[in-house]
Amino acid sequence: MTITVIKPGLQSTIQSRPRVGLRHQGVPASGAADPLSLALANRLLGNVWDAPALEVTLLGPKLRFESECAFAITGAVGVVTLNGDEIQMHQSWMASAGDELAIGAAEVGARMYIAVSGGFAADNILGSSSTNLQAGFGGLQGRALLTGDVLRCESVVVGSARTPDEYRLPMSSSWAVRTCAASETHLLDEDSRDHLFNTNWVVARRADRMGVRLEGSKLTVSSDGRMPSAGVIPGTIQCPEDGSPYVLSIDSGTVGGYPRIAQVARVDRHVLGQLRPGDHVRLLQREPDDAVAELRGKLAYWREWLPDIDEVL
Amino acid sequence: VLTRCGDDLFSITTESPRDAQSLARQLRAFGDWLDVIPGIDSVVLQFDAAMLDGDDVRQKIESVLAAGIEPLEISQSLVEIPVVYGGEYGPDLSALCKATGMSADAVIALHTGREYTVDMVGFTPGFAFIGGLDERLHVPRRKEPRQRVEAGSVGIADGRSGLYAMASPGGWTLIGRTPYKLFDPHAEPPFVLGAGMRVRFKAISAGEFNG
Repeated sequence: MTITVIKPGLQSTIQSRPRVGLRHQGVPASGAADPLSLALANRLLGNVWDAPALEVTLLGPKLRFESECAFAITGAVGVVTLNGDEIQMHQSWMASAGDELAIGAAEVGARMYIAVSGGFAADNILGSSSTNLQAGFGGLQGRALLTGDVLRCESVVVGSARTPDEYRLPMSSSWAVRTCAASETHLLDEDSRDHLFNTNWVVARRADRMGVRLEGSKLTVSSDGRMPSAGVIPGTIQCPEDGSPYVLSIDSGTVGGYPRIAQVARVDRHVLGQLRPGDHVRLLQREPDDAVAELRGKLAYWREWLPDIDEVL
Repeated sequence: VLTRCGDDLFSITTESPRDAQSLARQLRAFGDWLDVIPGIDSVVLQFDAAMLDGDDVRQKIESVLAAGIEPLEISQSLVEIPVVYGGEYGPDLSALCKATGMSADAVIALHTGREYTVDMVGFTPGFAFIGGLDERLHVPRRKEPRQRVEAGSVGIADGRSGLYAMASPGGWTLIGRTPYKLFDPHAEPPFVLGAGMRVRFKAISAGEFNG
């Protein structure tokens, strides 16, 4: 069965799981910027957690179902309509042939996930169906949706489902993100180290799948600001020459030449996908083992609703 | 030096890019890690913190280090990379000539005149860092990185040549471009170059590039 793209939205891509184990060949993670919301959408349709779904950014697409299809929407808060009538997120819906689904602007959070039963057909490249926009592979021809695209999915009949209230991911414009010291944290002068954890950071306009620039204080490092290229992962916080921390996200390069001043702990990495320009961010300092304990606590909580949570976060 | 650099990350500093590559291979053979990323003088290892304790991972890494870093195997075969130098293919070549006081032919002769070894691959899929550049060609990175560098571009910076396997932003001084497809996600294997491979550059004409 097929779905026609009437309007593509600002940046809508097919995303699934990240690519893992290929960073030494320069292959970035890709995948849902907020994998928890992806898993929650797929859960409502009885899909595997990483069934390829649409990740839509800030302004969503308008789609027409060409035949009957079950779908669900999670993630950022926004107005969703089916044939002009507002419908709820966080539950499964059945669309009929000819139905039009319109995703409005995200009001809180940055990204919504549209899953369909059986998942979207997508190019599986290097172990994942996720779109890599920079290299142009995976997903739908390695690119974002365009008007007139036709998306294919398997139609599977599913029962109706709602996400229990306690498993709806809270969206906010003010976030707290747990971080640990990284390889070059010691290069920050004392004031800068204070600023890093005491500043109420503002997400800059430059906030995308590559990374998120934070503004509010200027940090200084006791070096020329450059270092030999070294490994980075999503959540690594660099201090570029302009002194504004840059948090690498899911599409970032695999090595970097700027000092790595902090590392977002795995427990909160999924939050990076929902940061939007103007949001406030506080970085919380954690010892590595404490952050691991918090990760395991979070996994234990989510496991009841998402049995595969260990692969999601 | 072995440091914890995140809840699920360790970093190990090494003496050289070759040591970083070799250590990364040894670590990969010794455990089930999420990613092991060699850099110019370091290796970053990401482990599954949901399953493994940091102290156990540290001990495993220490035991690999205690056994010693093996010399990196350098491949016997030599990959020849055809390059059109200068002009629209290497837009920074004339500025480089000005800065170094050398003619374009002299720069090309230096760049094609020796064999190199791939130090590492990273940043974008297939981007190759190639060490051993003649000292007369040592220039820093550009202050203003370009928003777009074409696929196949050959740059130099910080004593290395860099091969852009795909179009991306970039800050290297661009001296030429190769028609070789260095990364093809649909090919098997998708990458032409890997760390430890020997390469040599060969000057070709724009006609050969387009032919």
